[in-house]
Amino acid sequence: MSGAGWVRRMTADIGEFGLASGANAVMNTAWGWPIAECVHFVGICLLIGTVGLFDLRMMGAVHGPSLPTLHRMVPWGVAGWLLCLASGAMFVLAAPFEYVENPAWVIKMVLIALAGVNMVIFYRTVASRVRHLPEDAPVPLAARVVAVVSLASWLGVMTCGRVITAFRPLIE
Amino acid sequence: MLAAFAWIEQTRPSLFMREDFSAYFIVLIFHAWGMAFLVGGGMAVSLRVLGVAAASPLERFAGFYPVMRVGAALAIPSRIALLVGYPAKALTNWVFALKFVCLGGAAWLVWRMRVELFPLVEAARALPARARWMAGIALLLWVAGVCCGKLLLYTSHMLTVS
Repeated sequence: MSGAGWVRRMTADIGEFGLASGANAVMNTAWGWPIAECVHFVGICLLIGTVGLFDLRMMGAVHGPSLPTLHRMVPWGVAGWLLCLASGAMFVLAAPFEYVENPAWVIKMVLIALAGVNMVIFYRTVASRVRHLPEDAPVPLAARVVAVVSLASWLGVMTCGRVITAFRPLIE
Repeated sequence: MLAAFAWIEQTRPSLFMREDFSAYFIVLIFHAWGMAFLVGGGMAVSLRVLGVAAASPLERFAGFYPVMRVGAALAIPSRIALLVGYPAKALTNWVFALKFVCLGGAAWLVWRMRVELFPLVEAARALPARARWMAGIALLLWVAGVCCGKLLLYTSHMLTVS
């Protein structure tokens, strides 16, 4: 099967799963899509308000709470990400043809994966040093690089999310 | 009022916002970034007052207020640009007014936290009981404001007058 054929097949499978799981029916109610959009952006705000501010603090762009204590807010960022994941999955399950072949959505997924890999690198390398960093101590360069990549990824994710509408494929 | 909207729609900035593909989306992107920093920063301060990351001194969260100001500096002009493009769409919709009441109320509460609560903590005094109420209401208003913004598309009665 060609690459394009494989993508079409996957899109059709996602659509069938959306129908079978009831996601399509929920999203096609009067309030399904609007509520999912609200949940999606509240999740983004939680993510930027915790992980984004943690990144800015780690970059040294803002002063604020020490990194070890600020790190305790990260679970709220994870909660925000889960809200985005759940609502985003509903969008894709309800209308896969608008997303799977949409370049903005594909780049968005790549950037989410990059943010995920970056997070794994952070926790496997400098996280323990950051967690035990004394108040106002200089942040290791590696942690600053991780923070820049993280924030840039999330802003890129938001940018792609905003332009998905502009790149929706035409339905044949 | 509709005549005024029709006049605005014929101005060059309004036509530019509607007809230039890049301009509209660039403004939308800046609005999303600005809102995320403004609302996200406000949520972080509200969560801290509610007791999240309690080991972190509250007064140090003052460092996040400049981030919120940058967020507002992106969100407000971009909102005005969108308004210039589609004045009737927003200004004939009560959800748009509700969005501003919610976000304005939340911003006011977060500012009151800065001027009322932070000095108390700096003076090693306990937070009053209403501090949690302020933070809880601010958090609800941030969420409500964001939701109103997202619902604009679904509740507007008209796109343009002309």
